[in-house]
Amino acid sequence: MDFQGYNIPDDLLYTKEHEWAKEEGTIVRVGITDYAAKTLNDVVYVTSPKPNEKVEQFKSMGTVESIKAVSEIYSPVSGTVVKVNSQLDSHPELVNKSPYGDGWIIEVKPTNYASEKKSLLDAKAYAAHLNGLVTQ
Amino acid sequence: MSKATQLYGYHANHAKLTEFAGYEMPLWYTTTTDEHLAVRNTSGIFDVSHMGRFIVKGPAATSFLEGLVPTDVQSQPAGKAFYTLLLNDRGGIIDDLIIVRISEDRYLLVVNAANAQIDMEHIAGHTPGGLELEDLTATTAMIAVQGPRAFESLQPLTGLDLGQLKRFRSGETKIMGAESLVSRTGYTGEEGFEVIVYDSTNERPEKAMKIWEKLATTSIPCGLGARDSLRLEAGFPLHGSDMDKDTNPFEADLAWVFSAGKVGYVGSDAISEFRKVPPAATRRGLVLGSGIPRHGFDVVDADGEVGTVTSGTFSPILHKGIALARIRQDHSDFGTKVGVLVRESRQEGIIVKPPFYDEQLYGWKRQKGK
Repeated sequence: MDFQGYNIPDDLLYTKEHEWAKEEGTIVRVGITDYAAKTLNDVVYVTSPKPNEKVEQFKSMGTVESIKAVSEIYSPVSGTVVKVNSQLDSHPELVNKSPYGDGWIIEVKPTNYASEKKSLLDAKAYAAHLNGLVTQ
Repeated sequence: MSKATQLYGYHANHAKLTEFAGYEMPLWYTTTTDEHLAVRNTSGIFDVSHMGRFIVKGPAATSFLEGLVPTDVQSQPAGKAFYTLLLNDRGGIIDDLIIVRISEDRYLLVVNAANAQIDMEHIAGHTPGGLELEDLTATTAMIAVQGPRAFESLQPLTGLDLGQLKRFRSGETKIMGAESLVSRTGYTGEEGFEVIVYDSTNERPEKAMKIWEKLATTSIPCGLGARDSLRLEAGFPLHGSDMDKDTNPFEADLAWVFSAGKVGYVGSDAISEFRKVPPAATRRGLVLGSGIPRHGFDVVDADGEVGTVTSGTFSPILHKGIALARIRQDHSDFGTKVGVLVRESRQEGIIVKPPFYDEQLYGWKRQKGK
């Protein structure tokens, strides 16, 4: 779906801190939302955990930086990092160009996703959350 | 409630807005990176109307300003603009500013928006009788046109021969029929001009808006994001980040502002004391191999802290993190390797002399025709 020009794919789950999670077989792919990317304006630097490092749901797993600002990335899922999007080292702008595609950040082998995903928002709930933010 | 410049109507329709120094200002129109590169490669325009603009005039103006700032005033010819400081009695930096000697006994002071009120009180507090002090901030607009093609963007709008206007010179002229002051100055490191439109008011902003919209057909509108990344890449300090009311100017690499032998200005007794001891620190440029330095990050060597980042950003030209930092004198040689603590990790950096870009390729000294 679309909320005021921000793309919110229906098949993903979201955090209130603007990360998304996508279940793909036995792993969960993680990135930041179109709203987060557009608010940062121009992503110039991404720091993410390395493969085999542990991440915990709703805990900081890295940062995404624009020229002006630094923003924490909070993991939507607990587990072990299996893959990092190394393309972002030389092309951080992919986070802006394709936040749900080539701009993904890490892939995680989850430990308890079946239970954890109940604390995430679906597209409709995330759109309602954005609505609350932009009308504040 | 926040204030608006005369060009607010344009920004509200085209930019992401942010509040800065009490003004609703454009943060970016497209992206900070694109706007930054437009100024380095072609031409960009900035609404800088939020900056404080004061006129000091009268037969006593020169002697008054001579007693106010550490830079020699009386030797400046009419039409000259110069960078200087407002100091407190402790020798600390109240603000940095550009003074334009418009004519023999009429001066324009352009100060930082965030300090305009404090500056006005400081200036008014030292004003003798027989002097006129006027605040033009709300009754004029100010536009910066910056970049290697700034000349081509501005020249068609004015009868003043901009090719004859040297750097740090200014002239009064009409721009699209509006009485204006044009200075060949800026805050980006590039060739460029700053224009003050006199006969345009908050109630009747049409003349300033017409000039802005005309310039926007040949230059890229730029927000405060690019203004900050451009000044940092050029190595220009920002008051409030890189220096403040407690900063010894000699520890901010600003000794060049002090005219040789000059005394008798506000703060000069404290400055004479500062001169007796070597400064403990200085301002330097830093380039990181990886990571982006930000204000307040520690600069370290193997034995511990040797300085602090005072402002940092990502350089769109170098594709690296860059910073201005206050560095202990004994670690400040160019080429010295230091670390910067970027959150949990130490990133390797090197001390350099700004500007951060190659001056053969970028900035006002660049080789023409490239």
